[in-house]
Amino acid sequence: MTFGDLGRNALSNLGRRKVRTMLTSIGVIVGILTIVTMVSLGIGVRLEINKQFKAIGLERVFIRPQEGERNFFTQFAPPQRSKPITDAEVARWRQLPKVKEVVAEVDLPLGVASGLRIGDRTQQISVEGPANALNQVPFQQPPTAIAGQIELPSTAGSMVLTAGALRELNIGRDQAPSLVGQSVEIVLQAPRGEQQAFSFTVVGVSTDESPVVRVPLPDRIAMKSWWFNKPELLKSDGYDSVTILADDVNTASALVGQIRAEGFRVQSLELILSLADQVFTVINVMLSSVGGLALLVASLGIVNTMIMSIYERTREIGTLKAIGASRGDIRLMFMLEAGLIGLMGGVIGILAGYGLGKLLNRVILWYIEREQLPVRGDFFVVTPSLVLYSLLFATLIGIVAGLYPANQAAKLDPLMALRHE
Amino acid sequence: MHTAAPIISARKLARRYAMGKEAVMALNGVDLEIQRGEFVALIGPSGSGKSTLLNLIGGLDRPTSGEIWIEDLELGKATDKRLVHYRRDRIGFIFQSFNLLPTRSAAENVEVPLMLAGVGRRQRRERALQLLAQVGLAKRAGHKPNELSGGEMQRVAVARALANQPALLLADEPTGNLDSKTGKEILNLLRDTIQAQGLTLVLVTHDLNVASCADRIVHMLDGRVAQIEIADERAARVELAEEVLP
Repeated sequence: MTFGDLGRNALSNLGRRKVRTMLTSIGVIVGILTIVTMVSLGIGVRLEINKQFKAIGLERVFIRPQEGERNFFTQFAPPQRSKPITDAEVARWRQLPKVKEVVAEVDLPLGVASGLRIGDRTQQISVEGPANALNQVPFQQPPTAIAGQIELPSTAGSMVLTAGALRELNIGRDQAPSLVGQSVEIVLQAPRGEQQAFSFTVVGVSTDESPVVRVPLPDRIAMKSWWFNKPELLKSDGYDSVTILADDVNTASALVGQIRAEGFRVQSLELILSLADQVFTVINVMLSSVGGLALLVASLGIVNTMIMSIYERTREIGTLKAIGASRGDIRLMFMLEAGLIGLMGGVIGILAGYGLGKLLNRVILWYIEREQLPVRGDFFVVTPSLVLYSLLFATLIGIVAGLYPANQAAKLDPLMALRHE
Repeated sequence: MHTAAPIISARKLARRYAMGKEAVMALNGVDLEIQRGEFVALIGPSGSGKSTLLNLIGGLDRPTSGEIWIEDLELGKATDKRLVHYRRDRIGFIFQSFNLLPTRSAAENVEVPLMLAGVGRRQRRERALQLLAQVGLAKRAGHKPNELSGGEMQRVAVARALANQPALLLADEPTGNLDSKTGKEILNLLRDTIQAQGLTLVLVTHDLNVASCADRIVHMLDGRVAQIEIADERAARVELAEEVLP
């Protein structure tokens, strides 16, 4: 028997009981629908995350010094660093081949009481470094200017305000242009009772929603050394973080190992990304198992249908055997029928899963629109390999489910089968 | 009457069935030779072993002991694969209840043995139509079995049996489900066919009228051959009887 004959034969036999065939394949449809929807969601979200991370650039390496454990009582104390990131280290890293840019930063520690004084108004506010492409957060769009410039000059004494800070200060956005060029002060209040004012000139206001003011590095060094009363802060504690921008991803991952060996804490986006990838794989597998369970139940349905069908056709099987069908012919006939039920369920399941994905994507995009989140794109991506594997899997489920009934049919004694009514 | 080697020869053929705890000897030492081109009727009451003998000749069953030779093939010890090929290529089966595939047209039913043998679609359709024409059903080729009369279904079955050009036809009560007129037509068709093509026909029946068409009648009783009648003698006897009767 040729394969074409077997196929036509199976199709015509399935066509005899259209409703039963359809009902049987519904289980497969549901299983494949679930798997396709879940896996395409996993693929879509992973692609979106990758896109966001790549937009920032995977060529970056983040370095922090090793620090002793901090607890509730020591969290406000100056950090204990066995190996600080000094100017010498930063200079050395700048000299490394294939390194584009090295940015060293000092952060004001947690708990610094800093007040922003504009005219006669004072408001508690955090002091941070400039927002730039190097420390941009995924899934957030870079801020734009409301007034003035938001590129912070590296010279001391300039400040960028944020929309969040304006809100804290009860100043309307429309007044932002009048703030540019104005002199303001940041007042540090030390627990030891002293107080020190630092003067700045506002250069611009950004759309950033976090309630902070941004000042250049020299000012933050000055404020921090006053706070801890350490005039030689950079020599004793060093920088709090360094970001290295490498020429390419390979250099970045090589730098991760190299600098980690020097005794610093090193992180790269690629490391975070691969971790995220692992998490998504696990989630994907878990979600797909739900579909897998549906498929297991579906396969029992196929077994049942095939056994029924073989019982109904016992006489036919006997006839076929009497006129020269081999066991192999009969077995193949029924396995193919079972496989076709699976394949059919697979095709419909994939189409339905694709449709459901499109629908859910619309819902998600509508929600994102409403929440004004800066994310766009497809969260359900059906790849050709997903289609291929789903079809193969569905067919395989059918064939495996057909194994037992097909064997039973093949083993039938022709004489007994012919006598069957 | 024939000098050539027989197409079928059974030697001490026995078949025992287990019926519950008792063993039943369906065949109990049958010796029989059938020559090429012969039309042999197996006749006997039910349980006489005539169908068992036919099934053994057809390779659907295996003997408990003894030998059954079809030309150079001993069916009792042949492998399953050889039996399958034997059934497919060398014999044609005709059943009492036709056993056509219900979803297939007449032509497709005739094609089944050819399909099993792996013949191409066009070639087998050609052969099926030619065979249907031969049994007088050229115009019914596209009809499903449920659109055909009993006689027509049996004609399709005959065409199917002839599909792979077998040397041997086996018929199990081929007229049992037909009225006497249609039955006679089928018998004539079978007779004409084997005569025209030099085929051998073994036919099981319990109807003496049917058996009387055969060259030889093998009477079976309790798993043995009770008597063999030859047509010429019988014809003579019948003629005699007609003379005696008024």
